[in-house]
Amino acid sequence: MPLSSAEAALRPRNPWEAVDLGVHLAQRHAGLLLGSWAALTLPLLGVLSLLLWRWPGVVLLLFWWLKPAFERLALHVLARALFGATPTLGQALRAWPGQLRGELLASLTWRRFSLSRSFTLPLTQLENLRGPARHQRLHALGRRSGVARWLTILGMHIELVLWSGLLALIWLFLPDQLSEPRNWLSLLLRPPQELLWLEHLSNACYALVLVVWEPVYVACGFSLYLNRRSELEAWDLELAFRRLAERLGAVGQALLLTLAVGLATLLASPPALAGETEPAAEAASALCPLPGEDNPGPDTPRLTHQPLTSRQAQAEIYVLLDQPPFHRVEERFDWNWPERDDEQPNDASPPPAWLQDVAESVEVLLWSLLAVAALLAWRYRDWLRLFAARARGSAAADAPPPTRLFGLAVDPASLPDDLPAAVERLWATDPRAALALLYRGLLSYLLHRRGVPLKDAHTEGEVLVLVQRLGDAPLAAFAARLLAAWQALAYGSRPPPADLGAELGAEWRQLTAATPPREVSA
Amino acid sequence: MSEDSSTQPIDQADANEHAPAAAGSDGRAAASQLQRATQLVQAVRDELGKALIGQQAVIDEVLCALLAGGHVLIEGVPGLGKTLLVRALARCFGGQFARIQFTPDLMPSDVTGHAVYDLASEQFKLRHGPVFTNLLLADEINRAPAKTQAALLEVMQERQVTLEGNALPVPRPFMVLATQNPIDQEGTYPLPEAELDRFMLKLRIDYPEHEQELELVRQVTRSPRSDMLEVAALRPLLRERDVPVLQKICAELPIDAQVLDYAVRLVRASRDWPGLAFGAGPRASIALVRCARARALLHGGEFVTPDDLKACAPAVLRHRVRLAPELEIEGRDVDQVLAQLLDQVAAPRS
Repeated sequence: MPLSSAEAALRPRNPWEAVDLGVHLAQRHAGLLLGSWAALTLPLLGVLSLLLWRWPGVVLLLFWWLKPAFERLALHVLARALFGATPTLGQALRAWPGQLRGELLASLTWRRFSLSRSFTLPLTQLENLRGPARHQRLHALGRRSGVARWLTILGMHIELVLWSGLLALIWLFLPDQLSEPRNWLSLLLRPPQELLWLEHLSNACYALVLVVWEPVYVACGFSLYLNRRSELEAWDLELAFRRLAERLGAVGQALLLTLAVGLATLLASPPALAGETEPAAEAASALCPLPGEDNPGPDTPRLTHQPLTSRQAQAEIYVLLDQPPFHRVEERFDWNWPERDDEQPNDASPPPAWLQDVAESVEVLLWSLLAVAALLAWRYRDWLRLFAARARGSAAADAPPPTRLFGLAVDPASLPDDLPAAVERLWATDPRAALALLYRGLLSYLLHRRGVPLKDAHTEGEVLVLVQRLGDAPLAAFAARLLAAWQALAYGSRPPPADLGAELGAEWRQLTAATPPREVSA
Repeated sequence: MSEDSSTQPIDQADANEHAPAAAGSDGRAAASQLQRATQLVQAVRDELGKALIGQQAVIDEVLCALLAGGHVLIEGVPGLGKTLLVRALARCFGGQFARIQFTPDLMPSDVTGHAVYDLASEQFKLRHGPVFTNLLLADEINRAPAKTQAALLEVMQERQVTLEGNALPVPRPFMVLATQNPIDQEGTYPLPEAELDRFMLKLRIDYPEHEQELELVRQVTRSPRSDMLEVAALRPLLRERDVPVLQKICAELPIDAQVLDYAVRLVRASRDWPGLAFGAGPRASIALVRCARARALLHGGEFVTPDDLKACAPAVLRHRVRLAPELEIEGRDVDQVLAQLLDQVAAPRS
């Protein structure tokens, strides 16, 4: 393809300028690019949606995954159009399957997530490079594809913005009854099967967004590629020569021919010289003859004593070089990060005294704040204990059972080994002490053997309820009898029946014998 | 239990009080009198349970207040049978019953009464207000402004009304049952603390359970009146003069020093309890002990146990304390804080 037929001016540009050129390229062929893209992708999306109607997410994923394959069509159109051979829509679509050859698998698998996809696609598709050759070529083009990466990231955002904008547009067109938030919510809160159409609608919106954006994206990547190549291969010079050649026609060709022949003879002469002079034989391979001993250079007195010395000539040459056309003054304005002024090292000068005062007062303030916080925590410790402890909740449940309850020692060690015997002994002289001892025994048993979470605040009635919840009928009956007797004695001053002590003692023996000792893990 | 058998013992008890009895038989007589009183109160309770279905706890507490000679403030959304409860109670004990519907334009004289000039006799005549009754239902008491609510202060505390400079006693027994809608409803005036303190109990009436509501709907729809339960079918089990006797029996129920101490400790704990802006006064301790005695009697106890106190405490305390603003903002309830308090104050020990 002749470079001169390119419709864009090929010269080295700033990469972002090249991206801009890509946008212009896409604009110029917008109809063809968008049309071909839509004709290719929309039916495909339709087919995918019909096949996978129940899985709209999978449809979207597949469609998104196949984007590199679709991009080949856009690139094909662009590459042809750049050099004037714009294909028709039909031609482009027919050419597409042919374009899919060449590393399609790679571009759909491990290169799918490459951010510089748009920049490397022309390598694969237009230069038909693969494997090591492609790698080498990529290396030659230089991995300066930063702008291409940024382009992809930008593209992702543009896609998102356009997609959500389109969905919002649809939402704005909803009738009033539906756009009321409650109705909208009720619409969204339906069973997933009824919401499939909504997801397919969103998929279609995405496809429409791609119709607009993807050709632009491919064009931008393509122009980045062109830019890089024209930079490396001096396409602008080549084009200038070609234009020169075309303008001068045959005369030019002859002139060029003589120029070439002249150059060739000039280049061929040094070996001839070398053949003539023996001392210079060792420098036969050099293009220029080396200066001999008798030719020490411009500093020899013969030269320096001439009216125009080399020194003078040098100075004049420098003056000349400083003037146009050798020296060009160009003013460029660019965006830059502001220069930092505080680059001086910190130890240059100590901070001023007032600043130190301020720092000290801030320090005092912080310490006093800390002290106030500690004071407040102490002042409201009840609050903290009450409400912070509630959050811990279960931690308290794991605490070891208390050793004292209702002012009674309920630790198993504090009780006599043979409790019923002790009760029966006490009963005759002091029934109240005997009942208290048995009550303590019951509480200790409940706490340590049965793991009942008893607290100081539990009344006898609540203890009984807790016992009944254990589902142990004999124990509950025993507890009911004991607690009734205890309540009557303690709160009603009613002495218990004389034989109650022996009965309760016997029951207690049975109960403790029936249930094997089960230590509660503390 | 028949009507005769339930009212008979109280007459005897009444006689026992005046008749001198030997020291040995006195204890036995007191025990049997207590037993009969319990039976009677439980009969009334069962009878009330027929009228007000699914609110057994509220019935118990109202009976406690009646036995302890206190007044009751019932809070709940409309339509849960607050008025029905009062009508049924009035019916069961055969006393007089009056009802005042509190409205924003109700005047104090509409409650207590006033003097009117009689043209025929050319004299001022006192017209007694609705407070001269045994059971006074102050319906939606927080719909009236504080001025009218305060008209009840004297009669609730002193059991008398001062009209035209004369102190007129109200009949005994006298009990005010006020109902109020939850404070946050439209157009309500919160009761002043002094007024609240005069109510012995504040009850919360809540929606009935599913089964009970089923039964309720079944019964109401069977009755000839369209939308409310009939109280005419209830038997008047108590006579007007039985109530003071029951109250006397209740007041004499023994209470151990430790239990008394527990009551005072509970109330005192509310004063410096974190989470309560201010606690209950001594009137709360008094009310707590009286209510616990009534509860013990109602449950057939011969003495007051800490359980009785603990069960009464929320109703006695909940209108006498105020929740700290921080907790109010957090959306906590007085009952939650009181439950915490009851859960932390140690029960009596021996």
